Amino acid sequence: MTIETKPPRAEVSPEARIFREAAAEGRFLIRRCGACGEAHYYPRSHCPVCGSRDVDWVEASGGASLYSFTVMEGAKRATAPAIVDLDEGLRINSVVLDADVHRLAIGDRVTVAFQADREGVLRLAFTTAEANAARAHTDAAMAAVAADEKAFAAGKPPVEIETVAVIGAGNMGIGITTAFLKAGFSVLMIDRAEEAFERARARIAETLERDVTRKRLSAEGAAATLARLATSTAMADLARADLVVEAVWEQMELKTSVFAEASRHARPGVCLCSNTSTLDIDEIAAATDRPDRVVGLHFFNPAHVMRLLEVVRGAATSEATLALAMQVGQRLGKVPVVVGNAYGFVGNRLMIARERQAARMLLEGALPRQIDAVLTRFGMPMGTFEMQDMAGGIELSYRNRQSTGEKNFIIDRLFEAGRLGQKTGKGYYRYEPGKTRPIVDAEVTAIIEAASADAGIERRAISDEEIEERLILLMINEGAKLVAAGIARRPSDIDVVWQTGFGWPSWKGGPMYHADRLGIGAVHARLVDLHARFGDPFAPAPLLETMARSGETFATLASSATGSETGTAR
Amino acid sequence: MSIKGQACVAGIYEHPTRRADDLSIARLHADVALGALADAGLSPSDVDAYFCGADAPGIGGFSMAEYIGLNNLRYMDTTETGGSSYLLHVSHAARAIATGQCNVALITMADRPLAAGAGPVLAGVDMSKVPEREFAPPVMVPPVYGYAMVAKRHMHEFGTTAEQLAWVKVAASHHAQYNPHARLREPMTLADVMASPLVADPLRRADCCVVTDGGGALVITRPEIARSLARPVVKIAGAGEAMRHSRGGRIDLLHSAGVFSAAKAFEEAGVTPGDIKYASLYDSFTITVIMQLEDIGFCEKGMGGRFVADGNLISGIGRLPVNTDGGGLCSNHPGNKGGMTKMLEAVRQCRGEAHPSVQVADHGLVLAHGTGGLLSSQHMAGTVILEAA
Repeated sequence: MTIETKPPRAEVSPEARIFREAAAEGRFLIRRCGACGEAHYYPRSHCPVCGSRDVDWVEASGGASLYSFTVMEGAKRATAPAIVDLDEGLRINSVVLDADVHRLAIGDRVTVAFQADREGVLRLAFTTAEANAARAHTDAAMAAVAADEKAFAAGKPPVEIETVAVIGAGNMGIGITTAFLKAGFSVLMIDRAEEAFERARARIAETLERDVTRKRLSAEGAAATLARLATSTAMADLARADLVVEAVWEQMELKTSVFAEASRHARPGVCLCSNTSTLDIDEIAAATDRPDRVVGLHFFNPAHVMRLLEVVRGAATSEATLALAMQVGQRLGKVPVVVGNAYGFVGNRLMIARERQAARMLLEGALPRQIDAVLTRFGMPMGTFEMQDMAGGIELSYRNRQSTGEKNFIIDRLFEAGRLGQKTGKGYYRYEPGKTRPIVDAEVTAIIEAASADAGIERRAISDEEIEERLILLMINEGAKLVAAGIARRPSDIDVVWQTGFGWPSWKGGPMYHADRLGIGAVHARLVDLHARFGDPFAPAPLLETMARSGETFATLASSATGSETGTAR
Repeated sequence: MSIKGQACVAGIYEHPTRRADDLSIARLHADVALGALADAGLSPSDVDAYFCGADAPGIGGFSMAEYIGLNNLRYMDTTETGGSSYLLHVSHAARAIATGQCNVALITMADRPLAAGAGPVLAGVDMSKVPEREFAPPVMVPPVYGYAMVAKRHMHEFGTTAEQLAWVKVAASHHAQYNPHARLREPMTLADVMASPLVADPLRRADCCVVTDGGGALVITRPEIARSLARPVVKIAGAGEAMRHSRGGRIDLLHSAGVFSAAKAFEEAGVTPGDIKYASLYDSFTITVIMQLEDIGFCEKGMGGRFVADGNLISGIGRLPVNTDGGGLCSNHPGNKGGMTKMLEAVRQCRGEAHPSVQVADHGLVLAHGTGGLLSSQHMAGTVILEAA
């Protein structure tokens, strides 16, 4: 069945202008009859109960309870049409767009308000107390991150950045360049291969044209933006840059040689930033003449779209450098989060743990569709296998393992079968030409079953509950370790990272907020059990054990400022 | 005035197609018109009254009257109430005949949403001008979401279960195996239905009717004309219609307009629900059948779930055989409007011409009932009671 979520455009009746204007401000008006006293919903200039024309506007309280509802299965974004009983005595249609639709129950107290959906159509939507609390947490967590810039910059004059050099014209380099150009910077793109620039320029122009088509940018604006891009094959040109961002292939020898060369050409004091996603920022910094001016700027792909920017603080990184990185991040319109130097930093660390556990469950008996469905039902915009197909995770994993010789039965077979993800039309799923909807493929099921046989594992049915626990509690456990080590400066920073970088819904707060909701004691107890059944990844973080004993939550932990507030611990 | 015995169904026809890739909507109307007239033993020149819905091509009935070749019309009615339209047309035709305004009425319905790729929406409605939409554009464009909320509240209020909903589908699929034209002919077990994926909690895919192309037609005449023809005489004993809507914010999910349309029809026919031996009930979704059983009075309000359980709607097994052609759930729901097919199977049963495996023994009094629009908000119910002469 096709699910049409886009309602037809409605005409606005002249007599409803007051109602519409209030709705645009989120206020919800109903009418009450001066003659019979009955209220009615949706504006008419007469009372539909008694026919009187003596009708007044009354602002509804927004308080309501859920009379009935359903959940649109298969909708891209969790949506629940509902009928609510307003406290004013009316029973009307509503819809929830931004709460956990799988935890609704008839009789729940809800709040009703006008709200624009993604298409900009005002809807009389309701939300739950649970979702409101999670959003309040989200607001506070974002405010804390925004305050960091000022804290690091305290007393130091701001640095003027006009020209940014981006080293490397590959995918990430192109995305990063686009982000800087769109934010008004001039960019000097540097690559050894002159021919790379043509592709880069074409890709950037394509992105800008899309903005023009969508009327977010004028044609002149697009031309002016592209005019701020210069290219060069000479590292010596770095001397022109006020900031250097490296985005070359993820390999330590290459990175250190680029940084060594960059520090010879860049003007003294100019910050050298690395877009590394996994490598040790201290080792990179050690190759330069200015370790205090080296910082990680970890963009997420596509870099001109994703809001998250992990600012990776090395052992020598100065506060002034951090302040500059935060300032640049904010000018880019990103959410810059300062993280410590550790494998995968914060975002990818949790994602890699989750991916590995998901892969393990494939061997034990689950299939990609089931695991992804558990994650989307939980509230994530897409599942882990769908995401890997989109991001090219199969190819990345395969290529990264070629130097070490490490084998991975499933991924190696997928790679050999040309299943690299969406770009080849098949990966963990198959895709219709030009479409992104994942379709289950028997070939993948066969590969997974062969992998289980190869590993000597007898496949079993794994429940959705077990899948959710093994993925989500594992992320919480990894997160607790990062908090304890100071890699994440605050538990709520992890929540911000997962909301802005991986689509964790704001109405569910984030992994650490979720841990508090589950109860730290319960999380710890479940991890102890999972550890006994599924081994080391579930060995509870010592911090969780301490918290379970003391009764602390991640929320209280944040306010009591335990230990490594500066976040340089390794 | 009463129409009891004043008009008869003289001809019926159901288009055998379920997917009309190579047939236009006009052609489908003509096919079913000629089919029903042939069944009655009449010709287009005998028709002096024409009925169709707003989805017929052209303004009202003008284009179809010309296309089919209805050259002697003196009466026309294009009442549109969604899926129940054709039950209302039968009632209106009977009343027009009873008051001497016409002699032979032709009712046609046809559409091809499947071939057009239109999905489960009604054709020909401009939603941009609908006033209530301006203020709360609901997400639930496909009706399944409205019916799911009815089912959810019904379960909450009366303890109705998903298995009970599934029994409605099991009965329909049992009947459909004997209908060579049915879209879904494979009998389904309770477990099959329960294994079907959720579309809108608590409704599963199997709780939803099929989307099909095609249509059907009816010929209504005076009793004296009907008696002069070769087919068994089926008299219209009574009919009723009623509308309900949200009343400015007073949605009632637990009662449909069927409460009023059925009471009117029973009063006119002078019979009670207990006298009815076969019922064609609108089955856009399984919950629709349960609601109507209660509202018509086949069981108490809230007892519909228990009523349908254990095969009680299956011909030869249960107390009240329902939709012995497989209904909209399994056989045919042309143009997302089930009222026409409800009438057609009721007439077959009343004539004693249903498939032998599903024909009810005592078919003297049968009922057809339908709900058009959305059960959760604006809808109109039509009830028709037929009597074998």
